[in-house]
Amino acid sequence: MRRPIAFEVFRYAAIALAVAITLVPIAWMTSMAFKPTAEWQATGANLTWWPKSPTLDNFRFIFGQSSTALIVALERTAAKPILSSLLSAGFGTLIAMGAGTAAAYGLSRFKAGGNLPLALLQLRLFPPMAVMIPVMVMWTFLKLNDTWFGLALIYGIVTLPFAFWLMKTFFDDFPREIEEAALVEGCSRFRVFLKVTLPMMAAPLASSALFVFILNWSDYLIALLLTNREWATIPVYMASLSSSMTGQLYGAKAALGLIAAVPPVIAGIAIQRHLVRGLTFGALKQ
Amino acid sequence: MSSIHLKGLTKHFGSFQAIKQMDLDVHDGEFLALLGPSGCGKSTTMNIIAGMEGATTGRVLFGERDVSDVPMTRRGVGFVFQNYAIFTHMSVRANLAYGLKVRGVPKPEIDKRVAAIADFLQLAPFLDRPSAKLSVNILQRLAIGRSAIVQPAIFLLDEPLSNVDAAFRAVMRTELKHLQRQFKQTMVYVTHDQLEAMTMADRIAVMDHGVLQQVGTPLDVYNNPANVFVARFIGSPGMNLLPASLRETDGNIVADLGAAGVSRPLPRGAAKAAYAQGIQDVWFGFRPEELSLAADSQGIAASVTFIERIGSRTVVHFDAGQAAGKAVFQNDVPLHAGGAAHMVPADAAVRLFDRSTGRAIGEA
Repeated sequence: MRRPIAFEVFRYAAIALAVAITLVPIAWMTSMAFKPTAEWQATGANLTWWPKSPTLDNFRFIFGQSSTALIVALERTAAKPILSSLLSAGFGTLIAMGAGTAAAYGLSRFKAGGNLPLALLQLRLFPPMAVMIPVMVMWTFLKLNDTWFGLALIYGIVTLPFAFWLMKTFFDDFPREIEEAALVEGCSRFRVFLKVTLPMMAAPLASSALFVFILNWSDYLIALLLTNREWATIPVYMASLSSSMTGQLYGAKAALGLIAAVPPVIAGIAIQRHLVRGLTFGALKQ
Repeated sequence: MSSIHLKGLTKHFGSFQAIKQMDLDVHDGEFLALLGPSGCGKSTTMNIIAGMEGATTGRVLFGERDVSDVPMTRRGVGFVFQNYAIFTHMSVRANLAYGLKVRGVPKPEIDKRVAAIADFLQLAPFLDRPSAKLSVNILQRLAIGRSAIVQPAIFLLDEPLSNVDAAFRAVMRTELKHLQRQFKQTMVYVTHDQLEAMTMADRIAVMDHGVLQQVGTPLDVYNNPANVFVARFIGSPGMNLLPASLRETDGNIVADLGAAGVSRPLPRGAAKAAYAQGIQDVWFGFRPEELSLAADSQGIAASVTFIERIGSRTVVHFDAGQAAGKAVFQNDVPLHAGGAAHMVPADAAVRLFDRSTGRAIGEA
């Protein structure tokens, strides 16, 4: 259908505006990450979009090189928090997706479990704060406090409902006949699940996993409560990037923010061809 | 090889009765078509035979063996789905090989049989293509091939041709029949298309509203419908049914069609039997093809409402007072819409149905 030119102009203008609003903060962070101290501390008329003397000082700083301009040295570098974030968010996603997918399949196919799906949803209605203090106490007893696997476990539990509901919707939409075709050939239910259903669900699996990963990756509250020192994650560590003399170290924070944006973006690009199909899975007729 | 026996089968979905009461025997090596309109329970029957659904009551036997409690994975039937259910993440070859692989057939044997079935179904050029992007016609053959390759003794097909185009459907009808002759499976074929059922099946089982209406050879079902439903459903157009009452004149039984006139003497013993039993209100049935034009004041008096020219034949829609009907004539029939027509059904083609039960009044 041919639309009027004015409509097209308006459409693209609206898209451009939306993209600009989304990208401006990211562009600003990127710019700041490459600015030397004097520039990111600048205010008013001295502010520039483009770094006048671009430098990698901010990156060097968070990885342990002391900065003369700031006269501060970091007690800890960003290396361990990055590792902590990768491990806890990664394994947390594995736990949520593994348990969530298996549960979703069972509940979608066998109608077992009664109200479990709704109960799982209700889990999300709790403010996390309400349960985090008891969890903290439990984790202390279980010696899971301040460990990446303790954090991964709670991430897995907290994002399980998301993984479950996403996958359940996808399984509900998956044509039963395809599984039945394999079953009548004598294939076991488990093998059908592994060899037929899961491979054909690659797209929804990938997009759900990315969604869950981003949730885990950007968590601050849980990590703050459960990892006070050793295994502080990127967001927790980022909050600590300040000093009494200089206040917030925005340059360093920007550099770390830029690094933190990398894994989800890489994952997103890697599964890009699955993403759209995954997010529209139910909408397509077989 | 295996026969199929359904004994006292019922199936409820909540309060809905998909199958009310069903007894059906499919002979060994027979091609049986389960024919009926949408929602008549034919697919449910098929799913119960395959074990995808359990019957509410009743038994399913393969030969002597009661398989009612055998799960679908161990019934060993072949099943072709209406939407093909192709494993789209696999190549055509992997799809064909799937059943053999699951059964642990050695690789060289798999290759041999895949090549053979691909040859038979003209799938050879597509063997190494991914199956996700094939045309419907090829997917359809692939679906048949994937089930046929293991040579199941029982082969179930659920409306396999409903999504393909008309020309290809004609080709597949022949090929499926050919396939069945070659492998001699017991085949149950679900369809709502009577042409498929008539052309391929050894016997047709007609279903409606979860009840088996009639089982018989295609000609038997066509010529001697067991009840009003089958009479109307089979044939295109279906059988004409005019309300009539039987009466005796000069020692002959005739059907009084009211405003449309009175039929010729009914020659059949059945009419006499019905009359003797006190059945008077009947449906006077005849095939549209069995009508011939008669002189004025003879036969059924009707007014022509509409004329449909379909090439070789002309379908004449008529109104015979209390009921409408159709007649099929040669394309040059001298009738026109709005005119009057006098038509006589061939004596041997007349069928009578009890108007209170809908059942055919038998020839006995």
